[in-house]
Amino acid sequence: MSRVTMKAMIHRTVVFALIWAVLSAGDPAGQVLGLIVVPATVWLSVALLPARNPLKLWRLTGHTPRFLVGSVAGGVDVARRAFAPSMPLNPGWLRVPMQLGDGARVALGAELSLMPGTLAAGSDGSVLLVHVLDLDAEPGRAVEAQAAEIAALTDPAPEGP
Amino acid sequence: MPEGLADIATIVLTGIGLVFFLAGTVGLIRFPDVFSRLHALTKADNLGLGFIVLGAGFQADDWTQLAKLGLIWALALLAAGTVAQLVARAALRQEGRE
Amino acid sequence: MTFWLHLIILGLLGSLAGALWRVWVGPAQADRMMAAQLIGTTGIGVLVLLAVLQDWAALTVALALALLAAMAAIGFVKAASSDGAGDPEECAPGPTDARDGQR
Repeated sequence: MSRVTMKAMIHRTVVFALIWAVLSAGDPAGQVLGLIVVPATVWLSVALLPARNPLKLWRLTGHTPRFLVGSVAGGVDVARRAFAPSMPLNPGWLRVPMQLGDGARVALGAELSLMPGTLAAGSDGSVLLVHVLDLDAEPGRAVEAQAAEIAALTDPAPEGP
Repeated sequence: MPEGLADIATIVLTGIGLVFFLAGTVGLIRFPDVFSRLHALTKADNLGLGFIVLGAGFQADDWTQLAKLGLIWALALLAAGTVAQLVARAALRQEGRE
Repeated sequence: MTFWLHLIILGLLGSLAGALWRVWVGPAQADRMMAAQLIGTTGIGVLVLLAVLQDWAALTVALALALLAAMAAIGFVKAASSDGAGDPEECAPGPTDARDGQR
């Protein structure tokens, strides 16, 4: 078993065990069942989604607050446009060339869909299709900044010791 | 936290949450094209749910309730981001076919 | 407090009703696909508030709905793809380039 897989299994075991602990809290029988459920889930998740680009967890902790702030800004922005009598919209499309792998691109798309004024609609070859609410707001730069952040979260090469 | 303060927090936060849900609905009704409407649904409704969950959190009696609320919100966020992409993609394909 | 939370729940249901108008009139297929997500998100909000009002039992239901709503929404999208099973990415259309009935 490779080091990357091993590391991913440890990460996933911790996460699934935490989730199970929450779900089964206050029920000792349920907690014992976790000894079967958690390893089985880890096995299934590695089988379905093999570890390739390990996430850098400590960078994720730095990224989360920015993501939360961005998604609040996204909601406020769209609410403002919806409520404004003049409804300021200038919708259009951006085609953003991407270097990211599949998984990272989906993660970027999901994140962009919650950020102000951007909505991913899959990709066309290596070009990410992004719908924007307001072409005047320079959305291209925001998209590229997000892409760089997502790229920094994963580690393309397997990590050293 | 004193009971009164927690109640005020819940009232304010759930109120804000409702405003965002309403914004999502207004956007869904008013916005001119399907993609813009998808923006409204995804972003506004999820922020609304975030505020409602946060407001509910101030009434929680123990950590498991808080943790479950957090799990609910994380799941909803993940689902919203993923589903928005898929629906946008489907809409795009439909448009392309016409 | 109880009264206020009931009021919010009513507001959420009203918001859902308004949004369902869009699902009703469409016109795009995608407008209808949004229904799954819409009902999911609003339903989770209502259940979370009900949990506060009624002894937190509904919280587990909200959690289950959060999981199932995602699956339902994905199912909605997949069902609308050409072969009823596929990935929306499988036939790639760009918004800007012209296409000649590849399908």
